[in-house]
Amino acid sequence: MIFGSNHIELVNGAFWFIVSISFILLSFITFLMIYFVFKYNRKKGKKAVNIHGNTKLEIIWTVIPVILVMAMFWYGWIGYRDLKNPPKDAMIIKVTAQMWKWTFEYDNGVKTDSLYVPVNKAIEVNLHSLDVNHSFFIPAFRFKRDVMPNRNNSIWFLPATVGKYDIACAEYCGLNHSAMYSKVIVLPKQEYDAWMKNELAKKNASSTQLPIVIDSTKVK
Amino acid sequence: MSTIAEHTVGHVHRDDIGSRLGMWLFLFTELVLFGGMFLVYAVYRFTYQHEFHVAAKELNTSVGALNTIILLTSSLTIVLSIIAIRKNNKFLSVFFQISTMVLAFGFLVNKYFEWNIKIHHGIFPGSETLLGKGNGEIIFFGLYYVMTGLHALHVIIGVLLIEVMAGYTIKGRINSTNYVRLEAAGLYWHLVDIIWIFLFPLFYLIT
Amino acid sequence: MHNNGHAVSYLDYKGKHSGIFAWILSTDHKRIGLLYLMASLLFFAVGVTFGFLMRLELIAPGRTIMDAQTYNSLFTLHGIIMIFLFVIPGLPAVFGNFFLPILIGAKDVAFPRLNLLSWWLYILGALLAVISVFLPGGPADTGWTFYIPYSIRTTTNVMPALIAAFILGFSSILTGLNFIVTIHRMRAPGMSFFRMPLFVWSLYATAWVQILATPIIGITLLLVTIERLFGVGLFDPALGGDPVLYQHLFWIYSHPAVYIMILPAMGVISEIIPVFSHRTIFGYKFIAFSSLAIALFGSMVWAHHMFTVGMSETAQIIFSLLTFLVAIPSAIKVFNWVATLYKGSISTDAPLLYALGFIFLFSIGGFTGLIQGALSVNMHIHDTSFIVAHFHYVMFGGTGFGIFAAMHYWFPKMFGKMYNMKTAKVGFWVLFVGFNTLYFPMFVMGWLGMPRRYYDYLPEFHIYHLISTIGSWILITGLIIMFTNFIKALRSKTTYTAINPWGGETLEWTIPNKPPLENFEVIPTITAGPYEFKDNDEFLMKENN
Repeated sequence: MIFGSNHIELVNGAFWFIVSISFILLSFITFLMIYFVFKYNRKKGKKAVNIHGNTKLEIIWTVIPVILVMAMFWYGWIGYRDLKNPPKDAMIIKVTAQMWKWTFEYDNGVKTDSLYVPVNKAIEVNLHSLDVNHSFFIPAFRFKRDVMPNRNNSIWFLPATVGKYDIACAEYCGLNHSAMYSKVIVLPKQEYDAWMKNELAKKNASSTQLPIVIDSTKVK
Repeated sequence: MSTIAEHTVGHVHRDDIGSRLGMWLFLFTELVLFGGMFLVYAVYRFTYQHEFHVAAKELNTSVGALNTIILLTSSLTIVLSIIAIRKNNKFLSVFFQISTMVLAFGFLVNKYFEWNIKIHHGIFPGSETLLGKGNGEIIFFGLYYVMTGLHALHVIIGVLLIEVMAGYTIKGRINSTNYVRLEAAGLYWHLVDIIWIFLFPLFYLIT
Repeated sequence: MHNNGHAVSYLDYKGKHSGIFAWILSTDHKRIGLLYLMASLLFFAVGVTFGFLMRLELIAPGRTIMDAQTYNSLFTLHGIIMIFLFVIPGLPAVFGNFFLPILIGAKDVAFPRLNLLSWWLYILGALLAVISVFLPGGPADTGWTFYIPYSIRTTTNVMPALIAAFILGFSSILTGLNFIVTIHRMRAPGMSFFRMPLFVWSLYATAWVQILATPIIGITLLLVTIERLFGVGLFDPALGGDPVLYQHLFWIYSHPAVYIMILPAMGVISEIIPVFSHRTIFGYKFIAFSSLAIALFGSMVWAHHMFTVGMSETAQIIFSLLTFLVAIPSAIKVFNWVATLYKGSISTDAPLLYALGFIFLFSIGGFTGLIQGALSVNMHIHDTSFIVAHFHYVMFGGTGFGIFAAMHYWFPKMFGKMYNMKTAKVGFWVLFVGFNTLYFPMFVMGWLGMPRRYYDYLPEFHIYHLISTIGSWILITGLIIMFTNFIKALRSKTTYTAINPWGGETLEWTIPNKPPLENFEVIPTITAGPYEFKDNDEFLMKENN
């Protein structure tokens, strides 16, 4: 099931793939440890056997993990490749981070402090910082990207389900780092268009207007 | 293993090969330290090619060349002092050690005037003249001051080290059978020299 | 007192100096080891206290016991103290100093005075870090990573902390240098490289990483200091500098530093498991070489801390691939340890419990490292509490438990006393349960999107934070049980004279408890590997009597 954004499937897939393999191996190792501790316990008075090693075994437990981790690498890589290459028709939104707030600027000049996007439309965010390092993190969409001064980073996503999701700052940026939350609000196409029309009208009404604060979207 | 077998209570453990190995390892860490700086230099040289080019023209090549000659000569004198002590010529060894210190002092004086002129022209980190220039030039001079400054600090440490060695030589603690400490100081001095050999072209020659 | 003839123990030896000077001016490797032990345990206590306070703050959303600035300083100090003052020196400087010369049959390290200088530099660095807390401006609040540009913008006392870390790095370099020369030049006759105990191998690999990587952090932190003082522009983006370059330089050291921390712990585990299984270690050479492989590969994976900064795609692929490969030598070690239990004669004393605890917790740390190495998953869990959990599983569950294992293993040798074994086992289990209760919820939170270094959090994370905080109380109870057990043993009047309580075959078990000043009356000649348990039946019979 896909909800939130397009990246979820591949990220979750890679995650659970690695977790499952790890769980099996960890259980195996733990089981062996416990089993050996009981089976070969000194209380049983059996003589220990000095086994110096077994090259065949060493090769097996080198080669199998190599194959497993290569598979993990591949799974992780395909998800990343996807994240890295935005489609050509992506809608571009400029994101500016500063201590400790986010500002979103649309191509028509409208500025907000929550991110409004239409559903099922590829969004590319260009990330800028005015002061120190921040990181643009949408947990529900399974990605983040660092926002740094003097450096232009960008990332894209395709919001798949209507709803409100948190945007957090993931790179430590000082006093109110933990309060640097905002929201991404995914709207159906018509609602988004109506919202944008309204914003644009407000903007034109007053050229010196400050960014609008929408209380319901502010997160403590 | 013979050195260890000889080791008895109260006898200070002496292992010249071990000492040399230790000194080489230490020099290695020094090289890595400066290696970090050269890495920074390389990255910014790549980023700001044109500005580095412009900025480098402001450095006085002949002063740099003079300092190069001074340091190379001092590397020779320190080697001569080691040769002298091996031949048991205490006086000559001390003489060459003092010559090395004098040359090093000359290097520092030269450096002082070079920096002084730059600062006089208003080129130093945070100055208005420098901040008025492009980012690449700010970084070039930042690197220039940091790297030559760090090198000068090593020159000063080297001088102090050789001074101690000269004292040891006079007292006879360094002699024709036990001169590993002087050798170590000599190695350190060569390192100081070698780093300058890299700094000189990077800042003065490549424009 | 174990006084046979002229072999006076290192604790009772009277040298040139008396009183405290007999300790802080001593060049004896064992006394220096103890000095490091005392100092690092003191800082461990401070670090634990800070961690405890942070967890208490996070027990509920919003302000609980402190403001955000205090919290930010606390996690910075917690990191600096734990990493630079406890975990890095914890094994090499404490147990390496104490046992490396003994394990290779030497009377001391190659440069005893340099060794003392290392300790003094360590104390100097530590004092500077402590002083920075009390200077006007308040303690540093940058996180232990000192990321630019925040570290050159904040008004807190970042400089003393930077210089402290620089000096501590220098101390670490000198220790590494000393160990390499010692291992090359001071081995007893017959002690070839492949007859060295694996703890020595791990110290050897660690020492190389120490001298190769530490200078980079030295120069980097120095540059940050200069940047703060003079504004030279080398990193400051306002002057054209590149903050990402700083991150590269920082992690070129700090990733290998992780191996400086874990390798010696792996060495300790490789000592303990064969001794308590009473059989030779499985795959000696594979374990020895995997240490070197870890040191080598570990130096080439630093940028996996930076997948989200936006490097080139090629760089991302290479660093991700290498990150997965660096897991292989660790896996080889784990398999060999487990195989060493096979057909042994296993005695489940406290050191072995800690060693097995290490394998379990370190494995979790390793597996979650794989999860982070996957590029797409990293985009999600980077800089969340998942990383915090992973890091603590490796550094505390790994190295921390390794240090505790070493303490229990070598305690009778170092002090000539024995702790209560039952209490030690209880302490282990409480610690183990507390550890998992404390850190496992962080994996879950991280996956659900709880960023790290957060003073406050959304209500949906409350339950995990609550469990985690309760875990910290259990963990601290475990620590208290363990340390009171040690202190009781130290204060008891009964001397423990059995020189080989566990039936080990390495050289420290051939000399008296509280070893004499120069360790060996006669330098031994080595004729076999370190884990050849020839006296199988003999030792077991003695134990049964």
